[in-house]
Amino acid sequence: MSALALEGVTYRYPATRTPALADVTLAVNRGEVVGVIGNTGAGASTLLLVAADLVPRVLGGELEGRVTRTGRSALLLPTPWTQVSGMAFTVTDEVAFGPANLGWPLERITGAVERALVRVDAAHLAARDPATLSGGELQRVILAGILAMQPDVLLLDEPTAELDPVGAAAVWRLVREVAAEGAAVLVASSDLDALPDGADRIVWLAGGRVRAIGPARTVLSEATLWTEEGPGSTAIAGVWRRAELAAPFPLTVDEALERAR
Amino acid sequence: MSAMLAFDDVTFAYAGQRALEAVTFTIAPGERVALVGRNGAGKSTVLRLVTGLLHPSTGVVRVGDWDTARRRPDELARRVGSLFQHADQQLFARTVADDVAFGPRVTGVALPEIAARVERALASLGLAAVAGEHPYDLPPPWRKLAALAGALALEPALLVLDEPTAGLDRRARAMVGAALAARAESGSALLVVTHDLSFAAETLDRALVLERGRLAWDAPLAGLLADAKRLEALGLVAPPLARLSQALGLPGGPLREQEVARALAQRCRA
Repeated sequence: MSALALEGVTYRYPATRTPALADVTLAVNRGEVVGVIGNTGAGASTLLLVAADLVPRVLGGELEGRVTRTGRSALLLPTPWTQVSGMAFTVTDEVAFGPANLGWPLERITGAVERALVRVDAAHLAARDPATLSGGELQRVILAGILAMQPDVLLLDEPTAELDPVGAAAVWRLVREVAAEGAAVLVASSDLDALPDGADRIVWLAGGRVRAIGPARTVLSEATLWTEEGPGSTAIAGVWRRAELAAPFPLTVDEALERAR
Repeated sequence: MSAMLAFDDVTFAYAGQRALEAVTFTIAPGERVALVGRNGAGKSTVLRLVTGLLHPSTGVVRVGDWDTARRRPDELARRVGSLFQHADQQLFARTVADDVAFGPRVTGVALPEIAARVERALASLGLAAVAGEHPYDLPPPWRKLAALAGALALEPALLVLDEPTAGLDRRARAMVGAALAARAESGSALLVVTHDLSFAAETLDRALVLERGRLAWDAPLAGLLADAKRLEALGLVAPPLARLSQALGLPGGPLREQEVARALAQRCRA
């Protein structure tokens, strides 16, 4: 059974006529990583807000269609600095904020916080004041706070935007692990180079509608991704296309090497 | 020509937390410099020292012949345009156009010239259609573009930008690249903090790498991207086109998409 399912979802923000999402149907299963791609304004962030039950519940607007979730969902915003509780003087307390609000016993909270900090490679930051962290450090700490709540549905909006390349690669590996442990993961990313390996399936949104949905490699190989309403694909696919070499475009360095030799 | 930006043995500590140690470099007019390194290496601190939001604990930061510790940030804005990592914090006007006009207005640019600059800056980043909107009604990546437009409209001698492409789609990234290249052509020095090495390879020429607050590399970006061992030690990963170019031994070791594509076409059609 799907941990998250949207059926015919159309959503309008308050005081707007054009829907931000139009007739979106999508299911994410446990153990699966689904990537969301699209140009800015295509609806990826809105899709995550709907999945997280923040719209229309918190932000208002009109929602048609049906959204079903099993278990707990948690969302990493693309603006992690707006997601700090502001009520903690150490990173440990910041990460504990979510679990504490779930009413867990202290030992469970402590264990979950320690484990989450190790998983995002931020154990060394435990005693720091969140207000003194760099952008990338803060993004990892907020992600730890989300993982500590052990969500069944993990929703990530540009989770690597603030991270250095090594940190970004680690987060993509972590996303895989969390899915392997049984979470359903929906991740919006403009880091298209990470997606051939990072996602199982991909949804391409354009103008709030699903333009394509399918296995990651199939969708990323679509020639129509390079049209006006598409976000393009990986850097390797881009250079292959620009060199006017034969389709289907390779997506990764290894695939290109195989084709070029 | 004299340096547009000079760090002379600069050390900086946040309350007890050392961020920069003995950092020395200069940047000439028209130079395009990437400032890279791991999270927490001190990159954003460098930018705050340039904009005068922080002053060095020891050492001197100069913008042209100005010591940044002796100038107010609003004075420095006549020479330095900046983009914060969290650009939301630098947007405050009721419309995107007003926000972009703010910098030129407070630095004393004449009115008709302000209008022209705002229009040019917005057009160069594809924001003309949202000029009348409230900045906070825009999606976050476009807010960052709006803040960048404000920095461009200053037409400053030095642009210091923190992660200008984070979260941007392909088209917006290309526009940012073209806009920055145009500024450099007209003589502005660029200092760009970025984790996006594909973008850096496409737009910038020289790399400064910070490692735990120290300058660990100051040389052409191409040399850095071709040195896998060095990259790994610095916590960096070569972008896909650099890796492809190197693995295929493409002549001249091209890094930019157009040049890699040309070499690739020759190789595959040979």
